[in-house]
Amino acid sequence: MTREEFENNRRRFGDDIDAWPASLKGPALAFMALEGDAGADAALDRLVRQAALVESDDRALARKVMARIDRGAARPSLVPRFLFAPTGLAACAAALLVTATIAGYQVARFQDQSQDSELLALAAGARLADDGGSAITADPGEGDPL
Amino acid sequence: MPAAVRDEASNGDEELLARIAAGSQAALSALMARHGRGLRTFATRYLGHAADAEDVVQEVFVTVWKQAARFDPGRARASTWLYRITANRCIDQRRRRALRNFFGLDDIGEEPAALEANAETATAARQELAIVRDGLSRLPERQRMALLLRAVGELDIAAIAEVMGASAGSVEQLLVRGRRALRDHLADAAGGRERKSS
Repeated sequence: MTREEFENNRRRFGDDIDAWPASLKGPALAFMALEGDAGADAALDRLVRQAALVESDDRALARKVMARIDRGAARPSLVPRFLFAPTGLAACAAALLVTATIAGYQVARFQDQSQDSELLALAAGARLADDGGSAITADPGEGDPL
Repeated sequence: MPAAVRDEASNGDEELLARIAAGSQAALSALMARHGRGLRTFATRYLGHAADAEDVVQEVFVTVWKQAARFDPGRARASTWLYRITANRCIDQRRRRALRNFFGLDDIGEEPAALEANAETATAARQELAIVRDGLSRLPERQRMALLLRAVGELDIAAIAEVMGASAGSVEQLLVRGRRALRDHLADAAGGRERKSS
């Protein structure tokens, strides 16, 4: 809308933009918002309000909210609500990670212990089982009379 | 909205919240009739997803039903409290959706503004509104939230600051930048139309 069109419409429909035909309101508000005169911010806010409007069924909303409330009252959840929130999920993930790490360390420690004892035995002169297995046979010199 | 009318409406909201705290479902229905449309408009345009917005607004009123006794009229207006709950739920919803998108669990987002924009190109007036919606959807999140709270929620700077957990100064900055970006978008669109017609 040009300034000339805006002024013509103002002379025709009056100063109150709300009283203008619906098809002219948006362009008039956009013109006012862009011209930078006093009230430009208010015009832009009104334009945003008008543009943002969405279809809304208040009764359907009330019905759905009441149904949710009734469901919540009838079946209290056994799982704490915070677990469904992003922070709760993050806390659960962190707890799982810590548990898995500790379990991993424990398993690895047992494996290290058996390897350590095998290496110690080999160093002391024991030999591996004949079939190439991991079992260590008794020290061949053990029990032999010197 | 004039200040006197706003104060009267706020008093009415506080009474409704007191009745909700006492267990009146009729009061909750009345509060939904007063604020449901505004909250839904805010959530829809902030999230850009109608179904998510619907879900958020339902959650907000369920929260109001459960937490109405915790509302302190000495700290904030009822409308500020409602928009604060809605803004927090919207932020949670946006994070959930981002997480779902990251793992590829989501379908393509439903963008009501884009659909309406295509259908609305017939008349200049509607085209203007579609351009504003498009401009809004391109704004950074916090600028968009501040502008929507101002325009849709009709909250003043102090109330917007309360809702967003920010200082009044930073809210003013967000509004200035958001409005400037929106004006630039409108001017670009108007320039484009003129070039096309010439």
